[in-house]
Amino acid sequence: MAAYRADDDYDYLFKLVLIGDSGVGKSNLLSRFAKNEFNLESKSTIGVEFATRSIRVDDKIVKAQIWDTAGQERYRAITSAYYRGAVGALLVYDTSRHVTFENVERWLKELRAHTDSNIVIMLVGNKADLRHLRAVPTEEAKAFAEKENTYFMETSALEALNVETAFTEVLTQIHHVVSRKALDAGDDPLGLPKGQTINVGSKDDVSAVKKVGCCSA
Amino acid sequence: MEKKRADESVQVSAPGRLDRFGFVKQEHNSPSPDGPPKNKSALEYQREQKRVRKWRKMIGVGGSDWKHYVRRKPHVVKRRIRKGIPDCLRGLVWQLISGSRDLLLMNPGVYEVFYSFNFLKSSSIFPSYNLRSYFLLLLLKQLVIYETSASELDIIRDISRTFPSHVFYQQRHGPGQRSLYNVLKAYSVYDREVGYVQGMGYLAGLLLLYMSEEDAFWLVVALLKGAVHAPMEGLYLEGLPLVQQYLFQFDRLMREYMPKLGEHFTEEMINPSMYGSQWFITVFSYSFPFHLALRIWDVFLYEGVKIVFKVGLALLKYCHDDLVKLPFEKLIHALRNFPDDAMNPDTLLPLAYSFKVSKRLEELKQEYEKIHGKVAESKSKQKQLQLA
Repeated sequence: MAAYRADDDYDYLFKLVLIGDSGVGKSNLLSRFAKNEFNLESKSTIGVEFATRSIRVDDKIVKAQIWDTAGQERYRAITSAYYRGAVGALLVYDTSRHVTFENVERWLKELRAHTDSNIVIMLVGNKADLRHLRAVPTEEAKAFAEKENTYFMETSALEALNVETAFTEVLTQIHHVVSRKALDAGDDPLGLPKGQTINVGSKDDVSAVKKVGCCSA
Repeated sequence: MEKKRADESVQVSAPGRLDRFGFVKQEHNSPSPDGPPKNKSALEYQREQKRVRKWRKMIGVGGSDWKHYVRRKPHVVKRRIRKGIPDCLRGLVWQLISGSRDLLLMNPGVYEVFYSFNFLKSSSIFPSYNLRSYFLLLLLKQLVIYETSASELDIIRDISRTFPSHVFYQQRHGPGQRSLYNVLKAYSVYDREVGYVQGMGYLAGLLLLYMSEEDAFWLVVALLKGAVHAPMEGLYLEGLPLVQQYLFQFDRLMREYMPKLGEHFTEEMINPSMYGSQWFITVFSYSFPFHLALRIWDVFLYEGVKIVFKVGLALLKYCHDDLVKLPFEKLIHALRNFPDDAMNPDTLLPLAYSFKVSKRLEELKQEYEKIHGKVAESKSKQKQLQLA
């Protein structure tokens, strides 16, 4: 557990959102990443949940503040407010239910409508452990991700497969975006004050990211 | 790690591992404040029996004296309900105070129609129900053309994710899961505009621990369509309009009663939707200790949704001095994990009752409507309730 405890000593703070259809495993992906736990008796998420974890990216400590959202369509009235200010998103579908993959396009549209264009998006095919029930071929998802210019990975929260890698990849890519932005702006990215919060999007009342950084658009 | 998915095979728990409500005990949990009284003294036992006798007298056989009693002594009823309805009478009393019993009596056989809809559609055999009224016939016509799909799949997906730690709901396709499915399915057919929304399962799931499917169905109808209190369907309608209104009202109330905490929330950018949505959407049944949820439901069904506001305020008040010191992340955590001592109904509820909110709630509602327009209610006139 101690290894997973959120560290208050960090260089960057990034806000991420987990989105996707109901029952694709968003909450278990989050608990696997944040606490290395998988809950067999998980409840459906009502509204939003929240967790954090710090990891090392390149030579920096990056802290992720992650909002996990209810997947049912009706809940978007509440959850879409949480997209704003997010610098990264994991858009999750269930590899054993094709319809959850078909809905990815709508999720993507909605996400892009509410976030900054620099947002790092990863398409995540979860429940890869259900090999005998696979309904979405890896190639199909990969091609879609390429077309939509998002990152892609298949995961299993149950088997702890690729979960760490998926989150780390997203956080690393955000770090790169931020570093580039800082360079473009003529700043030295290494010279950012400690604990600097990065926010590539606009901020609103449910943004988890406090104190807009100098790199804010 | 055990590599099984929850819905493939869950061991139904042995009775010894369950608490008195049928939930699987969690190992790390210390005995809850209102947990099973281990060595109930003879005196306490007698007191409890006396209480049950008083309640039985108040209700009468099968609820026959209830209305008369309520009319004569409403304050006695209110006081007794606030102390908690005896568990053995809870199911019956809930039906009496929510108005669901009246609905059931006025609509005999209707639930079977809704819940047998699947069968009706798949086999296209009309059941031999006594179609006593034109209303029922209309209903059937409507049902036959109704396309299921979306709600049904959503319901099925959530069945094993509703009260997953309760023994009644653990067995796959067991009686608990089947009842839960039937009630939710019936409601989604009865009220297509609401259909099924995540969170409703907790309402139905809680009720089914105390009453039959049919009774639970009518109680959900009574709540959502407003048999006694204002309808709550807006919690689940498109856009969740009532959730938004309640959160607005709660935020303002909280700031009025606890300005220092309100200011701290502003500084830390804490928004009521971050912690309060589930309070309203599931009336505290989603993540609160069950013994506390039951006590809240006793009052909720008799006095209405204002108890949800009061309990919310009481929680914040109880933890106020800690909360004002916490930074954002710790705040979020604290607002979702209240300490055990705050979860004691005999501490929390008296504190909740001390908040007087009715008048302000009404004013804040009007204020909200000025900004956002009136919260939409169901468009279908046909589902208006008529109560005797």
